[in-house]
Amino acid sequence: MAIALQRWPIVGRRPELEVFERALFSGEHTGLVIHGRAGVGKTRLADECREQAAASGLPTERVVGSRTAALLPLGAVAPLLAGGLGRSGSDVALFEETRHALSERHDGRRLVIVADDAALLDAASVALLGYLAAQRIIFLVATVRTGEPVPDLLTGLWRDGRVARVDLQDLSRTHLDTLLHLTLGGPIEAGAGRVLWEITRGNPLYVHELVLGALESGALIERSGVWHIEDLLPATGRLLDLVEQRIGGLPEQARAVIELLALCEPVELSYLETAAPLDVLESLERAGLVTVAIADNQVRLAHPLHGKVVRAAMPRLRSRAILLAQADRLEALTPAGPAALRIATWRLDAGGQPDPAILVRGAHLARHAHGFRLVRRLLEAVPSDLLDAGGALLLGEARYELGAFESAEQVLAHGQRLPPSEQDALRLAVMRAKNAQWGLCQPEVALAINAAARAVITSRPLAEELTADEACILTFSGHPDQALAVLERVTGGERRTRVVRAIAAAPALALAGRIAEAMATAEAGYADHVALGDELAIAHPAMHLVNQVFALTEAGRLAEAEQLALAGADIVAVNRVPVVQIFFAASLGRVATLQGRLATARRYYAEAAGLAQASKFVGPRRMALSGLALSCAMLGDAAAAAHALAERATGPAFGFRGPEQDLAQAWTAVVSQRPAEAARAFRAAAAQAASTGHRTIESWLLHDLVRTGGQDAATRLRELASKCDSPLVSARARHAAAARVRDARELAAVAADFEAMGAMLLAAEAAAASAEAFTRAGDRRAAAAAVRRASVLATMCEGAATPGLMHAAGAVPLSGREREIVILASDGMASKDIAERLYLSVRTVNNHLQHAYAKLGVSSRAGLAEVLRSES
Amino acid sequence: MTPEQIELVQSSFERLGPDPAALATRFYQELFGRDPGLRPLFTTDLALQKVRFAAKLTEIVQAIPRLDELLAQTRALGARHAGYGVRVADYNTVGEALLAALAAVLGDGFDPATREAWITAYSLVAETMLQGAADARPIGR
Repeated sequence: MAIALQRWPIVGRRPELEVFERALFSGEHTGLVIHGRAGVGKTRLADECREQAAASGLPTERVVGSRTAALLPLGAVAPLLAGGLGRSGSDVALFEETRHALSERHDGRRLVIVADDAALLDAASVALLGYLAAQRIIFLVATVRTGEPVPDLLTGLWRDGRVARVDLQDLSRTHLDTLLHLTLGGPIEAGAGRVLWEITRGNPLYVHELVLGALESGALIERSGVWHIEDLLPATGRLLDLVEQRIGGLPEQARAVIELLALCEPVELSYLETAAPLDVLESLERAGLVTVAIADNQVRLAHPLHGKVVRAAMPRLRSRAILLAQADRLEALTPAGPAALRIATWRLDAGGQPDPAILVRGAHLARHAHGFRLVRRLLEAVPSDLLDAGGALLLGEARYELGAFESAEQVLAHGQRLPPSEQDALRLAVMRAKNAQWGLCQPEVALAINAAARAVITSRPLAEELTADEACILTFSGHPDQALAVLERVTGGERRTRVVRAIAAAPALALAGRIAEAMATAEAGYADHVALGDELAIAHPAMHLVNQVFALTEAGRLAEAEQLALAGADIVAVNRVPVVQIFFAASLGRVATLQGRLATARRYYAEAAGLAQASKFVGPRRMALSGLALSCAMLGDAAAAAHALAERATGPAFGFRGPEQDLAQAWTAVVSQRPAEAARAFRAAAAQAASTGHRTIESWLLHDLVRTGGQDAATRLRELASKCDSPLVSARARHAAAARVRDARELAAVAADFEAMGAMLLAAEAAAASAEAFTRAGDRRAAAAAVRRASVLATMCEGAATPGLMHAAGAVPLSGREREIVILASDGMASKDIAERLYLSVRTVNNHLQHAYAKLGVSSRAGLAEVLRSES
Repeated sequence: MTPEQIELVQSSFERLGPDPAALATRFYQELFGRDPGLRPLFTTDLALQKVRFAAKLTEIVQAIPRLDELLAQTRALGARHAGYGVRVADYNTVGEALLAALAAVLGDGFDPATREAWITAYSLVAETMLQGAADARPIGR
């Protein structure tokens, strides 16, 4: 869907176009002048005016002012001249003849002339255009760049108030978003939209160049229907030119200030005042090139893009000299402290070899801002024999976060061989195990690393943390039962230990069906983690939110789970923490699956898989692809489900919630009409779940086995319900029990329970089954009501095609068209009027209505109205 | 728009139920409250107008994830409105009225993120409607 249009849509300029239209047809105006800064879109707007005039049948012409054309009097307007340029004679005669010729040529209709960069027109051209405009022969649309000197003759044209004027501004954030959406042809990831806004500040020309350059370089790419920025945005040659035009003419001293700011901003005003004359700084501020923050007296470039471009264009030696001088200056002022990061980066940027101690200090500071790329860059500049255990830990973590798992393993193992402090030894072991489990997908290696560390580290709080971490590895590799057993040994009150314990315990408890405990654990864990602060070698605090979302989902509190996951996703999108981002997207897919919003689920799972792919986390990717296959299968798209399964098979195994991943192949078999294989897959996965403490997932699997007609599992489901404090698990058990004996009333009651949880697909299936049972029992009235309920619920399931829906008699959802017609008809609109309104034939409308009647079990418009009332 | 914003617009709209009549009623109150001069533009029965509005809004909200479909909807709608003498400023009034109506009907559910999402969605719809209007009606007529 990438459409790099040659010509971009006009966005946010309709008010200005309306001004043009009114001025053109008012009879009072002789022209329109468009003022604005460079790149704001004056020419684009003027051309749009010209095209609109042409579309309404007016003749149009375009002239351009330029410094070269200005050397030749009337050169710019040559196409208008009667008799051409070479003609001799007085100006007055020439003007008069041109007036007549134009009037004749265009049959008395006004000629719309765009004069682009009108300030650069020669005086004679301006005089002629002014004369023709005043005579109503032409309507002049002139563009004038703000800040450029305008000849008196030109300003004279609009001094009499007969020229309309618009001052064009950069696009607002909202209009930029609209422009991007239309140009890219789809949604853009929140972070990428923010980056484009921050760099361009809505300047349309910069947006245009930046987006085209990024599309070309592959920095801006589309994954699963969403646009992402995957790489650094390039400064293309054309962008360089554009910015060069803006700052090219600056005097030497002003240019030096811009270059300094481009490399080292923000810079204190007090320093700049010693480095450049005050009037230079003032003129830069007046020209809108630099800003001075009142709050802290720091000077910055007004436009981020200018910095980017100036840096790219600056000779290497020059930038090196500036960077080194500034590093020296700052080092003399504050050798330690927060300046260390800037000093270290500047020295690296200058191509020098900074003091390793400064690099490590800088890396620590960068780590606090989650700047993993910078951490890696700083620490990889430290000679490896000078890297201490703490540095190895930082570098290992950064490489892990950036998806470089093999080299993370190398540096972490190297760190363990150095003589680390006991605390560093612990963190190196934890980090290395985490890398082994999540990055390399080798949980057994992770457990071995953990065991080796426990043999060496024996002092109490640290040893307890290692035990809690062992539980973490077990929970997230598919052994929640063993994790809970290990956690029995962790009683410690140290905050850090409690945090690690909560990360392991909350999902294990939720999987065991101990929902209330899981919630309390995750909530306490989050509070503890926030109090602990952002430490090394420990999961991101938002992981506790992931765990809360999971517990809420297992309890059937779907709306709450969705809200929390959306909020959590926002938090981590800013910090860019891949694993947690993947988990939130997958959690949203999971919630949507249970809600029956299957197209939404498919989208979230695809997003999660895309994120995992981009960040190289192949294990979590497997989890996302399983969900993707599941949602595709439930939508009836067997091919897409099989495709996702095939993609999944190319990656390593990933144990977390392993039995749930097996839903994917079971449902793919269901939708591919291989019922025996499906039943086998459900049963095998359920047995696996039973033997590893995945109670809620076992209930999901067995319930789906029942739903797809595989086998009765009511007894085991009831047993699970008695062990879990989860309304969702209980409702599944009731559903299976009622389905076994075809208890119509109980099925209807279960449908209501599912609906109250927001599980619309399960509610629709139970309602459809109750309709069937009512019919069997001869209660036609109750059966009709249940069919209506089922069909209304089914409309909320975004195209679900599960056996429970498809096989239920009559429970077919209304199509979008049918729904539209039903709404109009129930409001008393005649078929003829509906047909007119929707551009359909009366016959088609009546056909749709008949179908809808049949589906809803009614026979009249009054019946429709009744059904629609009961819906709301 | 971001995928999250699309989701927010759709889910908040879904909360209004299958027939967002309350929203439509509130919308016209807000609209005519802001600009009574717009009332004469609606020549049909207002009750019918509300049904049309609700049905059209439903279609548009559902089409947001698929740009081609959305453009087909909004351009045609804009083209129709161009014939009614609707001006650019009226689009701003409609946008304000829609946000106010959503705020009233959704209550606490209309949090800042949802509001932002609707503003972005409305900009997309309004700009493409205006595009459709411009294509359909030559200037000066």
